[in-house]
Amino acid sequence: MSNIRTTGKKSSNTLVRDLVNVGIFAALYIVLAFLSSSIGYIPALIIFSTGSIALVTSIPLFLFFSKVERSILSCLIFCGFFGTAMFVMGQGVLMLTISLLVGLLAGVVLKVLGKGFAGLFSANIVLSLMSSSMMLPLWTSTEEYLEYTRTMCDAGYVAKLAELAQSPWPLVAIYAFGILGAVVGGFIARRVMKKHFERIGLAK
Amino acid sequence: MKLDPRTKLFLAIVANSVILSAPPVYSVLMFAVPAVLLLFEKKWRFVLAFFSVYLASVIGFEYLKTMDAGLALSLFVSTMMIVSHMMPITIVLYYVMMSTKVNEFLAAMARMHVPNKVTIPLAVMARFFPTVFDEARAIGHAMRMRGIRLFSLRTLANPFSILEYRLVPLLVSVTKIGDELSIAAVTRGLSPETKRTCVATVGFRVQDLIVFVYCLLVVVCYVFLGLTGNLLAR
Amino acid sequence: MNISLKNVSFSYTDSLDNAVIKDLNLEIRSGECVILAGESGCGKTTISKLINGLIPHYNSGCMAGDVLLGDKNTADMTLAEISRCVGSVFQNPRSQFFNIDTDSEIAFGCENMGVPREEILQRIDDVVKEFRMEHLIGRNIFHLSGGEKQKIACASVAAAGPEIFVLDEPSANLDLKSVADLTEIVGRWKKAGKTVVVVEHRIHYLREIADRICYVKDGRIAHEWTPAELEAKGAEYAASLGLRCVNLEQLSDGVAGAPSSVILSDAQAESIYETSQLVDVVELGSVEQDLSKRPTTELLVFKDLYFAYNRKFPVLNIPMLTLPRGQITAVIGHNGAGKSTLAQVLCGLCGTWRQKRKARKYGAYLIMQDVNHQLFTESVLEEVLLGMRPQNEKTALEILAGLNLEQYAYEHPMALSGGQKQRVAIGSGVSSGRDIVVFDEPTSGLDYRQMLAVSATLQKLASSGKTLLVITHDPEFILNCCSNVIRMEHGKIAEQYPLQGNQDKLIHAMLNV
Repeated sequence: MSNIRTTGKKSSNTLVRDLVNVGIFAALYIVLAFLSSSIGYIPALIIFSTGSIALVTSIPLFLFFSKVERSILSCLIFCGFFGTAMFVMGQGVLMLTISLLVGLLAGVVLKVLGKGFAGLFSANIVLSLMSSSMMLPLWTSTEEYLEYTRTMCDAGYVAKLAELAQSPWPLVAIYAFGILGAVVGGFIARRVMKKHFERIGLAK
Repeated sequence: MKLDPRTKLFLAIVANSVILSAPPVYSVLMFAVPAVLLLFEKKWRFVLAFFSVYLASVIGFEYLKTMDAGLALSLFVSTMMIVSHMMPITIVLYYVMMSTKVNEFLAAMARMHVPNKVTIPLAVMARFFPTVFDEARAIGHAMRMRGIRLFSLRTLANPFSILEYRLVPLLVSVTKIGDELSIAAVTRGLSPETKRTCVATVGFRVQDLIVFVYCLLVVVCYVFLGLTGNLLAR
Repeated sequence: MNISLKNVSFSYTDSLDNAVIKDLNLEIRSGECVILAGESGCGKTTISKLINGLIPHYNSGCMAGDVLLGDKNTADMTLAEISRCVGSVFQNPRSQFFNIDTDSEIAFGCENMGVPREEILQRIDDVVKEFRMEHLIGRNIFHLSGGEKQKIACASVAAAGPEIFVLDEPSANLDLKSVADLTEIVGRWKKAGKTVVVVEHRIHYLREIADRICYVKDGRIAHEWTPAELEAKGAEYAASLGLRCVNLEQLSDGVAGAPSSVILSDAQAESIYETSQLVDVVELGSVEQDLSKRPTTELLVFKDLYFAYNRKFPVLNIPMLTLPRGQITAVIGHNGAGKSTLAQVLCGLCGTWRQKRKARKYGAYLIMQDVNHQLFTESVLEEVLLGMRPQNEKTALEILAGLNLEQYAYEHPMALSGGQKQRVAIGSGVSSGRDIVVFDEPTSGLDYRQMLAVSATLQKLASSGKTLLVITHDPEFILNCCSNVIRMEHGKIAEQYPLQGNQDKLIHAMLNV
């Protein structure tokens, strides 16, 4: 038998596979994030919206993380899309940098911890930071608006609003709920991976 | 009235930043641009609807904010404030998305020397949105036939099961399509290393210049008046 | 450009022990049109992947031997270089396109090669003129039918100007009219001197264009004929090899592989399900059931099946639909005739509130074309239990036994083969207790033996009392198991007739649609 060799390990073609996966899961992530953050339209539940995003998107993210070969590049581009979207929506370069950093961190975590549960779980939590950060502008811009309204209406009303927005607590709560959502989502996702995807052969 | 996608991007960035950080006067100045452009695209209904909602929320806010009637109303008022804040952004984004075709957008990105590694996922993402909806709808139909409903006893007992039912078939289906898509692309020569040409044409024209200059003027006014305002206040 | 495969062996695993292709030698001369036929799993798709370069550059596995395009070894070329000589079209129209609009899609291959813009526009023009696709340019691909999408895929590949075309079951999801378009496209390529390699079960549409048919079995080329030779050997021979009939017009003579209504016994059905041995279909005997001896059948009547997206153009407009109970009725018609809409309205998936509510009580259960949309749980047993009210494990196991799925009761549904998944979906349909089951293209892309298996399952289902409605483009399948035919046109029922005695009418209608 002449020259037996292994096939299919060429790097440029796995790159295309990875890039296509980034595109697909980015589309899925946006749709799911949008749907699950809808509960945030009820102002009282705004704090929970990032939690619900993190929870719902855990399952596809777990699959995504387990499929990509080049972890750092894929996560970077994935988060880069959201950062740029935020930037275009006027949130400023801060959001873009945060997203890129989150992407980098998630990719590194994934590479370092591998594709076992620990790696997927941690990368998922890191990614929830990004969706939580999406809520940031609501806070920072509100404060600027408050400055402006202070000149226009009475102090009592503004003080009430300020109660809501001025203190850092709601912001902390948002991040905390985001992380909580990612943790709970992570456990659910692990069960789903074991129950389904590993048995089908989509994930290893 | 075709604008180059890069101009639209610039418009979106400037407009949205201004809207989010400047007094409402400037918001109006900025979102007038997409409103006018949308009229050129014959989207009368949207512009009309938008203005009605916006005026309603602004007037509502102005009128109600002077009343000091408890937390519930304050929450409502703050919602109105958020809405009137976000609406201008909506019209800008709607215009950009509605008037730009994906291949034109990608051609513009290629002109800006954005690497293939970013444009390929972007193209896939744009192409996948309708697919995700189609698949999700088919799965929804299947769920309905099986009698899996959102508020039945079974799903309330285990609330996360609905997530499983919704997502697992979707992910399996989407993964399969993704694999086939990769193969179809790769056998047609897609490779991140080779340089791609683009059929769609993009280029700057008179209208791009007009929009560009207008945006700059607004920004300059804002900065200038803001500075002088501060100086005067001192 | 000649294609040579020299002593090629390939396995998808890490060693060559259970290789899919064993020591294959194949020579294809420039300008030939070759059909690679064979049953599912025989390795013909793997051969096509060897030619278009997916092996060795994309699929992982273990390979020995050489593949030469012209005089260059594919292992020495990159996939991008190979794609300049070899264009590939695959079987699923909806997952082949990369862009949203048709123009960009046709230009896609050229863009990847870095062809300058003006030349790309010229090439698009040429391709559109050649394939007479003017009505397809400037449109959203998502709004095209399956056949139109496949045409765009062919155009996209042709615009890049390769010498060799590799098509992997391109007709699998198409109706007969689109298949005729495909015949024309391949014919043009052949006339232009291109080499075309087609992997197929359905040979009939290429029988006047192909130069030879290579029958692949167990990773080797077992037989080789010209289409005329194969046709001369008779329909039973083709059927015994698992090939679909070579000449559609012969079907109506009743000479085709199986007589018009064959009901197989359980043992015979089982031997078809396990297709590892070569079973001679002709030996299974022809148990003909004389339909006239059946007691007069009940009719199920549906009234006012109407659906429209806007008032002016109703997609579905059927004042009355009668289905004979306990029998299998085929629904035929060209794309856009309203067949899928009929299925959806009958199952309560679209329509007004009233229609949906009625359908929940009396309606049908739909087995979709893509079964993956219908499988939700982690085991086959769970899947059958899911729709059951009340849930009864014993009944579920009985249903599985009836479908020959007992040994898979605890397997994950999505890990099964396509045919098994379909039976799982049928099982869930049975357990839902609905009396009417609608099938959407159950045999697309199946070889002869698999089609018989589906036919057997459906007949069993019908004999247990269910009424079946099958939307299909597959004339062999209809002749095999259906007893009535409904032809739809523009949302209305154009004709309805029992199949017995009307086979000619059926074939004629399907070929001239």
